Amino acid sequence: MGRALVRVEDYFAGRFEAMAGPCVVLIDGDDRAEAAALVETAAGEALRVERKFSRYRTDNLVHAINHAAGRPVEVDAETANLLDYAATCWEISGGLFDITSGVLRRVWSFDGSSRVPSQEAIEECRGHVGWERVTWRERTLTMPAGMEIDLGGLGKEYAVDRAAALIAARTSTPFLVNFGGDVFAAGPRRGGRTWAVGIDDPERTGEAALYRLDVARAGLATSGDARRFVTRYGRRLGHILDPRTGWPVAGAPRSVTVVAPTCLEAGTIATLACLQGPGARDFLKEQKVQFWVF
Amino acid sequence: MRRPAGFLRLVLVLALPVVAGGCATVHPWDRDLLAEKRMSLNPSPMLHAIDEHIYFSKEASMGGQDVSGGGCGCN
Amino acid sequence: MQLDAAEPEATGPGPAQPASSPSALRERLSTAALALLLVPAAAGAETATNQIDFSTLYYGEQDRTQVFEPIVRATRLFGDGQAISAQLGLDVITGSSPSGALPSGTVQTMTTPSGRLVTVPAGQIPLTKFEDHRAGLDVDWRKPWGSLVTTTVGGHASREKDYQSLGVNAKVSADFDQHLFTVSAGGAFNDDSVFPVGGTPIGLSDGSEVTKGSNSKRVKSVLFGISHVMTRRWIVSVDGTRTYENGYLTEPYKVISVVSPFNGLPVYTLTDNRPSSRTRSSALLSSVYHLANDILCTSYRYYTDTWDVRSNTFDVKYRHDLAEGWYLEPHVRYYRQTAASFYTIGLSTILRPPEYATADYRLGRLTTLTLGANLGFRIGDRPSQWTLRAEYIRQKGDTAGGDQNGVQSHFDLTPTINTFTAVLGYSFNF
Repeated sequence: MGRALVRVEDYFAGRFEAMAGPCVVLIDGDDRAEAAALVETAAGEALRVERKFSRYRTDNLVHAINHAAGRPVEVDAETANLLDYAATCWEISGGLFDITSGVLRRVWSFDGSSRVPSQEAIEECRGHVGWERVTWRERTLTMPAGMEIDLGGLGKEYAVDRAAALIAARTSTPFLVNFGGDVFAAGPRRGGRTWAVGIDDPERTGEAALYRLDVARAGLATSGDARRFVTRYGRRLGHILDPRTGWPVAGAPRSVTVVAPTCLEAGTIATLACLQGPGARDFLKEQKVQFWVF
Repeated sequence: MRRPAGFLRLVLVLALPVVAGGCATVHPWDRDLLAEKRMSLNPSPMLHAIDEHIYFSKEASMGGQDVSGGGCGCN
Repeated sequence: MQLDAAEPEATGPGPAQPASSPSALRERLSTAALALLLVPAAAGAETATNQIDFSTLYYGEQDRTQVFEPIVRATRLFGDGQAISAQLGLDVITGSSPSGALPSGTVQTMTTPSGRLVTVPAGQIPLTKFEDHRAGLDVDWRKPWGSLVTTTVGGHASREKDYQSLGVNAKVSADFDQHLFTVSAGGAFNDDSVFPVGGTPIGLSDGSEVTKGSNSKRVKSVLFGISHVMTRRWIVSVDGTRTYENGYLTEPYKVISVVSPFNGLPVYTLTDNRPSSRTRSSALLSSVYHLANDILCTSYRYYTDTWDVRSNTFDVKYRHDLAEGWYLEPHVRYYRQTAASFYTIGLSTILRPPEYATADYRLGRLTTLTLGANLGFRIGDRPSQWTLRAEYIRQKGDTAGGDQNGVQSHFDLTPTINTFTAVLGYSFNF
């Protein structure tokens, strides 16, 4: 429902709604039936990943994990790999990237106001944060009661890469998948051309994109959201929380956009960069990726 | 015999605050509380069905929330 | 390759292709991402889960009806969001209920037609004993279409000694504005049959003449609802339903006393007779509010029908969670209804009986107050949930307006009826 397939210039654009935002799949071909089928595949995969890993649902594995109250939960192969990836991110970031930090959202509400929670509330919540407290081995996850995992920081990028893999398995037509700003381009386009992706400056959201990236084959993701913030003493605190302190990362850039071989890597590097606070730019330079910092 | 028009007016009056109220949008990342099972408008369907049956057999009114379920000879 | 030029903060677009030797961090990420993305989709496919719910109701009206009702429901939730469920319920009903006739005790004093009523030692309100068993089966299938629309279709079949009900229902819900609004529309059709024990008596007769066979009762319902997420903590909804009933709507076992105006004593009884059509409308406003840790549910329902019954229902539940799976939820419900247009305490021997009449107290003016609490608890380590709900229901009628046929009552025809109910529930997933 709400799906549409239109012909734009010489490619197809299929739109649908998933993962709490607009999604579009571009197919650089002439076969409408094939384009429709490929868009359907991408949409189906987006909804599958959303249903399986969303923390807002009460009927999936993530909900079972978050309500296991200290009991061990055995997970399937896909979830196990995702948790392995999250564990790797935790390790290489020195504990900054932590999928158990989602509980902090209970005390922070990023609505642009100057309401910040009390230090006691933050401390109390931080007692339930820390991947080091989790036992993860042999496909079994054991978390102390009161802790939760939040795969929101990985879910959308992962869905993009998976949808792209499914489409690629079905066709050799060049395509591009864009789930709410997280992109994977499987080019080059016909005639050796590239896909043109617009990079949005969050300060001027709504106006024409400021930067244009011409890409043949790459993943692209953005971390940070200009609409989610809290103000304190007139200073804007971003929404990326440092799990070690419970506060938003001080001096974090408003938004970071990264290009990498897969959307998942691009998103992870962008998030890791934001977590470095003022050191975001240096961090990104070290990773030797193409990036934009706003 | 009741005029149905008066009832329709009442439904519209009750519907107005529901449809018009809450001008601020609730972002997807703020749906955490709403996603809890106990925040459902009908959290225990079986208990709700039992109650419907009890009050249907003791009172003259019926219904309100759903149209599934069958009749019985208790009223 | 010059990477300083890659800082755009208003200084222009980033560089061309990334360098060919990624950092150590990127190598690790790349390896981990590869492992994750190579898992075939089939291995990541969701498996279905199942849920079983048991509920047992004990219902006891003081000195009257008792009901014992075990129910079991099985649901299968598929990976793509579809769900199928089947529910089987059994009812065992015993006891007695008022027949509608007036008590006949000795009248010691009487009032003049314009004077006040004087209470006399009341005889027992005549009751009829009954015993019945009822079995019901409900099935339904829910299917999501994309992420915005859900359809549900269901069926119902039930049977008791003198009543059979067959029905189908369907509902569609659609979300709008980023799932802030949900609009639902649904309908149901029920084809019921009434076949009273001993045959169907002719309405407003002495009950000796009966017709054999079953009587049809057709019920069509439509529902329309809108729910709206008002704030992060608050969801509100309004639902309107309209039901059309046609066919045999009379209670075959109820009678009305015909009273002599000279001594106020019941002389004989006539059978109930109700119209053969009834249009019922209800409007329900509900709210669920999430406080710091507790949930407050309130609702108000207004009901009216073409038999002139109007009612108001107020319901409040407050859920307080103590620990995972443990909660206490006190509940209050207040209900008030007006009498049907043809409700009467009794009929008079010297007046022609009206076209429709009933002395069934449930169509008279009455007030119901329910006080109860629901306790949720866990036993042992298994992922299951127990609930125990105990409620006290107090119902008080009022014969005001029931004397339109010139019959006054010398007895308390509507004593307070106390009912106690308990429901034990058990759910588990596998």
